Amino acid sequence: MGPMRTRWTILLTLLATLATAGGIGVAAELTLEELGRPQLAPSGDAGLLAPITEAGRTGWDCTPEKAARATTARAAELPASER
Amino acid sequence: MRPAVCVLAAVLCVVPTLAYAQTYATPTEAPRTTDRKTLTSLVRERELHERFTRGLAAESRGAWADAATEFTRAIALDPPEPRGSTARYDLAIAKARLGDYAAARTLLTDALARDPGFIAAAANLVTVDVMSGDLHAARASAERFIALAPTSARARYARGLLALRSGDLATARADFRALLADDPSYALAHYDLALVELHDGRLDAAESELRRALALAPGYARARFALGTVYVRAGRNSEARAAFDRAAADAADITLRTIAATLRDRL
Repeated sequence: MGPMRTRWTILLTLLATLATAGGIGVAAELTLEELGRPQLAPSGDAGLLAPITEAGRTGWDCTPEKAARATTARAAELPASER
Repeated sequence: MRPAVCVLAAVLCVVPTLAYAQTYATPTEAPRTTDRKTLTSLVRERELHERFTRGLAAESRGAWADAATEFTRAIALDPPEPRGSTARYDLAIAKARLGDYAAARTLLTDALARDPGFIAAAANLVTVDVMSGDLHAARASAERFIALAPTSARARYARGLLALRSGDLATARADFRALLADDPSYALAHYDLALVELHDGRLDAAESELRRALALAPGYARARFALGTVYVRAGRNSEARAAFDRAAADAADITLRTIAATLRDRL
């Protein structure tokens, strides 16, 4: 192996090392960017409304039917803010 | 003369009591009959009442299999409305809790066929579809729910979330805005609307909604985290660092806490 060939080998190895290091760095940044994304999920779904007595939904004070019609979050039994 | 006065006084004392007693309802007529058809009907009515009572008691203590047995029998008795749709609604809850979402869906669809104005059934149908993971069916159910109850907070919230998940930002924005117009104090809707704006690249609008969410619920760590993300995208790194730091401190969810701390340290 001549000195010229050795120099070229060293140079190419150095370039390959730099490219790999750069790639790892970019990948790490992307991973961090991706890391936060699942935490930006929409809030939780509403749960099932409660059972209804045999008087039916038109019966006196049917809570689930009222919740289904309600225009405010609390009356509609929607999830509260999470921590 | 004196005994007559005493009798009159006694009558005057008793009359109001008699009048009060007469306000009681007429007693139900005792089912005295030997007619086979009438007796069968009375037995059926009694059994239906018992099945509902036992089924509801079982659901209240979380005994879903027992509840399913009771309501299945109630449906087999083929009760007229409103008990036909109500028994199906109640059985659907038990089936959903037991993980049989297909059966729950069929029962709620039947309940709505029997009583097309049954809004609680429409609401639970959306929830069952979401629980089953069938978001396409859930969206269709949410459309049906909102058509039945256009001002319902639950309907707007459900369709807004499904639209947001599928990338239908226009519908999601409209639903969360409508929900907030009726209930501006609902922090979660501000957060979800902020996600819509963030996905749409409208950072100012997203920041504004997140600030409203955090004014209503200062410990809402996920909203604080989202605000940090808005700041990162806007190149406001010191504010982002502060937001992630507070999110890490407030978060109850360990994953959110860890990621918020990692992002804070990277900035």
